[in-house]
Amino acid sequence: MREKSKTHVTLIILALTILGLFLANRFLDAYQVRIINLSGIYVTLGLSMNLINGMTGMFSLGHAGFMAIGAYTVGILTMPVSMKEMNFFMQPIVPFLAQVEWGFLPALFAAGLIAAFFGVLIGAPVLRLTDDYLAIATLGFAEIIRVVFTNTQSLTNGALGLKGIPNYTNTWWSWGVALITIWFISFLMKGTYGKAFLAIREDEVAARAMGISLFKHKVMSFAFGCFFAGVAGGLMAALLGTIDPNMFRITLTFNILLIVVLGGLGKIGGTVISAVIVTVMMEALRFLDESIDLGFVQLKGIPGMRMVVFSIILIFAVIVREKGLLKRAKGRELTYVKN
Amino acid sequence: MKRTIGLLLLVLMLAIASSVSAEVIKIGVFEPMTGPNAAGGEMTVEGIELALELKGEVLGNKVEIIVVDNKSDKVEAANAVSRLIEKDKVVAIIGSYGSSLSMAAGDIVNKAQVPTVGCSPTNPLVTLNNPYYFRVCFIDPFQGTVMANYAVNELGAKTAAVIQDVTQDYSVGLSKYFVDAFRELTGDQGSIVEMSSYNTGDQDFTAQLTNVKNKNPDIVFAPGNYGESALLIRQARELGIDVPFLGGDTWEAPEFLSIGGVAVEGAVFSTHFTAEAPVTEESEIFLAAYREKFGREANAFAALGYDAYMLILDVIEKAGSADSQAIRDGLAETTGFVGATGVITLDVNGDAVKSAVINQVDDGKFIYLTTVEPF
Repeated sequence: MREKSKTHVTLIILALTILGLFLANRFLDAYQVRIINLSGIYVTLGLSMNLINGMTGMFSLGHAGFMAIGAYTVGILTMPVSMKEMNFFMQPIVPFLAQVEWGFLPALFAAGLIAAFFGVLIGAPVLRLTDDYLAIATLGFAEIIRVVFTNTQSLTNGALGLKGIPNYTNTWWSWGVALITIWFISFLMKGTYGKAFLAIREDEVAARAMGISLFKHKVMSFAFGCFFAGVAGGLMAALLGTIDPNMFRITLTFNILLIVVLGGLGKIGGTVISAVIVTVMMEALRFLDESIDLGFVQLKGIPGMRMVVFSIILIFAVIVREKGLLKRAKGRELTYVKN
Repeated sequence: MKRTIGLLLLVLMLAIASSVSAEVIKIGVFEPMTGPNAAGGEMTVEGIELALELKGEVLGNKVEIIVVDNKSDKVEAANAVSRLIEKDKVVAIIGSYGSSLSMAAGDIVNKAQVPTVGCSPTNPLVTLNNPYYFRVCFIDPFQGTVMANYAVNELGAKTAAVIQDVTQDYSVGLSKYFVDAFRELTGDQGSIVEMSSYNTGDQDFTAQLTNVKNKNPDIVFAPGNYGESALLIRQARELGIDVPFLGGDTWEAPEFLSIGGVAVEGAVFSTHFTAEAPVTEESEIFLAAYREKFGREANAFAALGYDAYMLILDVIEKAGSADSQAIRDGLAETTGFVGATGVITLDVNGDAVKSAVINQVDDGKFIYLTTVEPF
């Protein structure tokens, strides 16, 4: 009975989301739709990072690197042939990619798969490390990706970046992918794999004693996280229409980490909400940058004010949440998925 | 808590109420006001604000500029421009410092059909294939060619070494066009004897410089950020490389002189503008006004911001309409507009065809050498 009512709730939320997106496309302007798109992408990013960091307890800071892989995959695969010639005016693109022009769906899949492939490749040796060491190794990897992309002129157009990537991303794509991610990760966490991830997070030695293969599960969690990071990167590339290696700096990873921590490590619902809030807030607070006319006094706008206010709100949110939502008894953390 | 929210709402409403007023021509500005490119964005906005003070009215209507920060971030740049178009309903946009930030806006302004004038993005891709993007600066290919001409014709160089910052699009672009032009001018494919790269943030250039020294070129072309370039030249002098160093517009910063010290004496670079040799009457007006308002000499970025604003107003005046489409058409036909940085003519791509200035470091100051006309 409980299971059934839960399904109902899920279906209702799904229907409301679809209705909401439909109405948004109908009545909102391009600016607001852009923010909705970004929110969807950040939901995917937040969840994929949460899977690695929050649910499996691996402190990875390589997200920007995997996004870069996804973004460049989609960028290069979907870009029209004539646009490629224009972009690569310094050095022609490598011949085997010059005539390629894929649809968006296969390109997104390729983005995810290639990111996941690199995830496994880097994960296999690096995931033996723990905590800070893992963080440093993955951070280094993300930087390596960026440096490689800067130097492979005939593959990625180097520092000049790519321009003219078709703008396929709309609310259906961004939120469709977000919903699939939510569904997939919930599904994953309900099953034995999810339980194993949580066990690894709580205590690696105990998990191993219970017969859980650390290596297999860690690499699996990492690969899934990278897959969705790659897909989200691809969505981002198609939303902006232009990418360059400097987009994928470490600050991007920290933005996502912020969403994850604010939403609560290991929480799906929390991540979704915080991704939306963080994205919307950054734009909603823009009025703080502008000059404010209070009638009796004119305040000159200070650029960057919104970031200050945003940071203060964040500090408060974290303090308040620390006392409230994040405070869980140690033993209860395992009951993350309520059965 | 309730009270705080109430207060916030009140402030918000007042802010919205104050922004609604009739008969104002709104021009949006998106520039990096925070983040790594903030210095450049700020200088540009100074120039635009100065222009607004000098000419705040067109066709009998007040002009308002709306500055939004793009945080030196591509995603934010796209958001900022979208906001200017949808929320503030601007008729034209100015921006941005940094080619990659400008490119992020490209698709949006093209789709919304709002004409945009870039001040200092020099990457050729910015305006390419985009009928709504223009710029008042020259592009990297031109700058690279100018320096190659200078090296061959003025310095009589037969061989050159190039050291580029591979992470900066302008450095890569400049180097490429310098190399092409230099090879053509000398008629010798082997005239570029060494080509090496470094990354932004590097501190030690010994490896690259040792290679350069072994090849013994007549000049070294090393476009890059002022910080890295100044360090690079210092280390070159310490290694005993005493040939002239040539670079691009980014060298025009006080830090270049303070970091480089005696080592950068004699370094030559191309730039958009110089306060020392006003090119037009408009330059004199701009320079005087800038000096009065800010109490120091103007730089190229402020001048380019000033020109972008003045060009848009000029177009509105000529068209007799502040309609976005009319502004776009007017901009596309710009010929011989007299700006502070020179006489601007926009070509089919929307790129400015105009003269470049060559400066040299002499006695701890930038001095004006010559002006190079476009071909």
